[in-house]
Formats: sequence, C-alpha cells, structure tokens
Amino acid sequence: MRRTLPLLLLPLLLASCEWVADPMSFTREEVPRFKARAEHPAPAANPTSLKVMAWNVKYGACRIDFWFDFWGDRVQMSESEVTDCLTRVAALIREYDPDILMTEEIEVDSKRSAYVDQVRFLLENTNLRYAAYMSTWNSRFVPSEGVGRINLGNAILSRYPITKAERIRQEDRTDQDPLTSTFYIKRAIGRAEVDVGNGRTIAAYVVHTEAYDQDGTKQKQIQQIHEVLRAETLPWVIGGDFNELPPVCDERAAAGTPESCVGKLRLSGFLDERESSQGTEFEQPPYTPSVMKRFYDDFEPSISLARYGVGEENQRRYFTHSVLGPDSMNDQGLPGTWSRTLDYLFIRKGEVWTDTDVIQGPGRLEVQGDASRLSDHAPVVGTWRLP
Amino acid sequence: MRALLMAVLLSGALMSSTPASAQPPPAWDTADVGPRGSWSVGVFNPLRIAVHDSVELQTHPLLFFVAPNVDARFALLRSPLRLTAEAGLSMPTLAMRLVKGYLFPSWGTSQNDIGWMLIPRAGLLLSGNVLEHDVWTLRADATFRIPLGPNSATPLNFFLTPLDLVLAAPLTGFRSRVGGAYDHAFNDRLRLRGELNLYVTGSQGNLIVSGRDVGAIASVSPLVLTAHVGVDIAVSEHSRITAGVLWANADQGATRLIEGADGFSERVRVRSNDFLPTLDFIWQGF
Repeated sequence: MRRTLPLLLLPLLLASCEWVADPMSFTREEVPRFKARAEHPAPAANPTSLKVMAWNVKYGACRIDFWFDFWGDRVQMSESEVTDCLTRVAALIREYDPDILMTEEIEVDSKRSAYVDQVRFLLENTNLRYAAYMSTWNSRFVPSEGVGRINLGNAILSRYPITKAERIRQEDRTDQDPLTSTFYIKRAIGRAEVDVGNGRTIAAYVVHTEAYDQDGTKQKQIQQIHEVLRAETLPWVIGGDFNELPPVCDERAAAGTPESCVGKLRLSGFLDERESSQGTEFEQPPYTPSVMKRFYDDFEPSISLARYGVGEENQRRYFTHSVLGPDSMNDQGLPGTWSRTLDYLFIRKGEVWTDTDVIQGPGRLEVQGDASRLSDHAPVVGTWRLP
Repeated sequence: MRALLMAVLLSGALMSSTPASAQPPPAWDTADVGPRGSWSVGVFNPLRIAVHDSVELQTHPLLFFVAPNVDARFALLRSPLRLTAEAGLSMPTLAMRLVKGYLFPSWGTSQNDIGWMLIPRAGLLLSGNVLEHDVWTLRADATFRIPLGPNSATPLNFFLTPLDLVLAAPLTGFRSRVGGAYDHAFNDRLRLRGELNLYVTGSQGNLIVSGRDVGAIASVSPLVLTAHVGVDIAVSEHSRITAGVLWANADQGATRLIEGADGFSERVRVRSNDFLPTLDFIWQGF
C-alpha cells in the first residue's frame, strides 16, 4: 500500500461486527471444496499420467494495467471486463485440458474483479470438476487506492475428486508498519488430496510467494515450501508462482567466478520495470535464484536447468512473466514481452515428466490461445507419469 | 466496588428529576423550528441557527471548509402537528479528493479524477406529540448529484455503511430516505430515542476510464436499512450527551459459504450488518 491509513481511523476499523481484515491466524487448516454444477466429461479411469498446469491468472484482469504495476492506474474492472477475460482464460485451459490446474491470484468476492466468483467461473467453463480455494487475502475494505473488499487466493482445480483441501500458513513480512501489515496478503501453501481412482491418492500443491519484501520473507517461504514437500508422504506435484528466478547461477558469486550470474542470467533491469516504481514499496527487490537450487537438487522440475540453458537467448523460450503486455510500450518504446521465469512445476525426484512447456503464445503444444494477452504470467504445463 | 457504587449513584441521579429545571431537554432532529435566535451544535451534529421564527439554517462546521454545505429548514405548520420542509446544497469534491490514495484511487498515470459536483437535497419532516413530552417524527428526503464535469470516482462499497450513505448521492447520483423516530422523555434529564430509516441509492453506474465507458460496475443492492437507539442525558440546562448504537444492514458484496451434505460448499451472497456506537455532546441556546 502506497500510504497507510491515518491511525485516527483505527477505532472505526474495529467498530463493525466482522474483522475488517482477516488476520488468518491458523497454522494449518482445512479449506472449502467446490464441485461443478455443469456436467463435464468424466476423466480417464485409473490414469497412468496426469496433465498438469500452473497459471497465475491475475484476477481475471488480462492485460489491464493496475496501479501497483506503474504502467496504469486502474483499481477495479467492470463485470464485462472480468467475464470477457475469464472466458478467454477458460478457453485456453480447455484447449490444453489439464487434469489438475494450480492457479494463483484468483478472486472470489472482490470489488476490483466485480465480485465475480472466479473459482466457480473456471469450474463451470472448463472440464475441471472439483476445486479447492485457499484464501490468502481477505479484507472487507483495503483502505488503499480504493481497493475495497478483496478476497484473493490460490486454487487447485481437478478433473478427479478432491477429497481434502487445506492451507498451510507461510511467514509474514516483517518490513511493514502494523497497519499496512494488517491489510496485506497472508501467504499460504495450498494442498489438495486428489482421488485418482483405484485407491490411489495424490497431493497437489499450489504456492505464490512474496513479491516485494526486502527482509528475506520470500526466501523463508520458499524454504518452508521445500520442507513441506520433503515431509509429504503421498505422490505429489507442486505448481505456482515462486517470484524467483531459476538457479542458473549464484547471485552472491563475484564476477568472473564460475558461479557468477554475469552473462548467464539477467537479475535486474527488466524491460517491464517502470522507473517511477523505483523507491516505492512496489519496486522489484533483487532476485536470489540460489534459493531455488535445493528444488532443482531434490525435486524434478518440468524444465530442467540443462534445457533452460544459459543466457537470455536460450532462456527466452521458457520465460513466464512480464508486467507489460505485448500491446503496451515501455519507456524505451519497446513492446512488452515475456522477460523472466518465475513459475514452476516440480514432482518428486526420480519421477518422470513428459511434454513439458511454457504456453507463452499461440502454437505452443498446439494451443491457440494467446496467454501473453490473458495474464502477466504464462501457464507452465507438463504430463506427470504417475508413480 | 467503587465503580459499581458510582454506576448506581449515576443511575439514580439520571432517573430522578431535578426540580430546578423541571422540563426535559427538547427532542432533537424533529420538525420543530425556532424560535428566532435559538441554536444548537454538537461535535458531530450540525450547527443549527434559527434566523427567523420559521426558518433555520444548518451546516456541518467540521466539514464546511472542505465540503461546503448548508441546509435551510422552513416551518410550514406549527401546532399541534409540525410540518417542516428542508432544502440543502453541498459540494463534496474537495473533501473526497483529500482521501485520494486511501478511499479513492490516486490516478497516478492518467487524468482521471473525482469530478466537481453539486449535491442538492430536499425533504419533509412531520412531528407530533404524544403524552406531554414525547415526540414522534416522520421524514422523507431525497438527494441528487448535479455533475459539473467528468467524474471517475465510483461507489466505495465501504465496510461502514454510514459512509456509503453519506457518499451515495455523489457516487451513485441519488439517495432517498423514508424513516421515522420516537423520542421519549423519562424525566427532566433523560430521553430515549429510537429511529428507523430505509434508504434507496442510485445504481453503481458504469466504469469510466479516461473518458471511455468500459462497462457496468458490478451491482449491489440499492436498499439500505438503518436503526438507531440512543439516550440523551442532560448535562446542564443547555447541554446534553447523546450516546447510542446504530445498526445498518446493506449489501457490501460479502458472501457466505454453505457446506452441503457431500462436503462440497456453495458460495452465496449475503447482506452485511454493522453495529456502530454513536456519541456526541450537544450545546443549545436561546
């Protein structure tokens, strides 16, 4: 939040009969599950593999530039803007037709997304039949830029029944004043148990770690995710927006050393960072790709480091994020294009991925939807051969 | 124990009459007007001055310099029923612009802004007496927006309904109210007042972005119900404390989860209830 509400208003915030901002004081708790009302085709019985997709859907805003991106100043959308965007998002999901979708930045009753229940929208407009929603930001009114009521979170959608769903609380930032912190996102790991038939249950995880902290919160959250996965006893898959670059190099290594990032991985100066964001609370903090190394060491990524390659020319094909869309120009007059990788899929070490990719635009894996105009993140997909 | 003793003594004092004045403080916010020269003002209640036996002027001093506002009250009937017409005008734009960045967007990359506007209001109040000092009041009023330029501000859908009601006309273009109140005098120090109001606001309207209409804003119910119960405690012949509780029922976009027998949930839209304390200190003179 750019500015905090004067303390004078604090008594009013407590005067109503519900929490103005849900403190989310849980460690681990079950969350609601939903099922589609529409009749969708039944999935394959006793599958040997699952098609998986992870996609940050930017609350159904497609490429509308919001105020914290600094390329625009929108704070809310009309109902038709949201449903038009979600219709195209759902169409792309139907094209790829995943068995399991992990999605971040999805909203259910938020003023900025016209109070559209986006989990329900995707349930009714894709072939996914079950869903679990893990709220991470639930305020009756966010007193910043007129954001108002918000309920944002992550969701796991599945063609197979979700038998249990829960959220696991992540660490909060410590670099905010108490009032800002009260109204800020409370990150959580989403976990759903999915019955894929024949007595087999798998665990699907969705995560979205902190983007703007300056106090190491994101690194702690990534470490916690790693620990939770190491403790998982079921076969598992995780997808999400880690807000971190792949560990091609070590950002702490000096230039000229073998581990140095110079020439291997861009760490800053992305073309979609607007100068006016510098010095604000939405300035992009330095990336620390080394924190992702243990994920590549201990788990199986959908895009290996060898395939990802060294240098932007090789890596460009697997970039998953750009604040700026292809129909907007940056300060240098260049159109927005995918500029870095922040989104991942992992499974347990030794298990097998096939047909993995990043659906950046039409033609990838024969999908014709244009993800570059549907969100500021591209969907990461793969087929997980079940153990 | 000391606190309990104080409470008992205070209650006793309030429930007993005071021979010196022997008249309860007059009911407020009724159709009564004047007499000329009489006035009242609260910390939050408006300043009201009778400039004529049948005409009062009213303004909110706290807001006057950021949201100039004035109401005139004209006594049409005097006794036993009192009928009063109200007409007012305000210009809230500057006050609204002061909370840009909090309640409204800053619009840092565009020319969008909160537009200049005039907010006229008209209403009628009818009051009558029951017993010697009880007063009932019925009221109806309507408030409108006259735009004086382009406006990008949209309804707040705030978590405290009273603010949405204050800003209903500037942000939705319209607010009307019908309501009633009953004010009972227990003795010369203590009054009890109950009030019920039904409001209808304008629609949420369309979202205008840099002069372009991008579609309808999600609708919320335009109906708002409020009730207020409060006591007036006379502190002196010319001052009183008012304290009470306001309940407001409105659509704030909230939902509730209903879990079915199969363990799956449905999300349903619900109306929200606010309970707010009210407190003021009112001076009045003749």
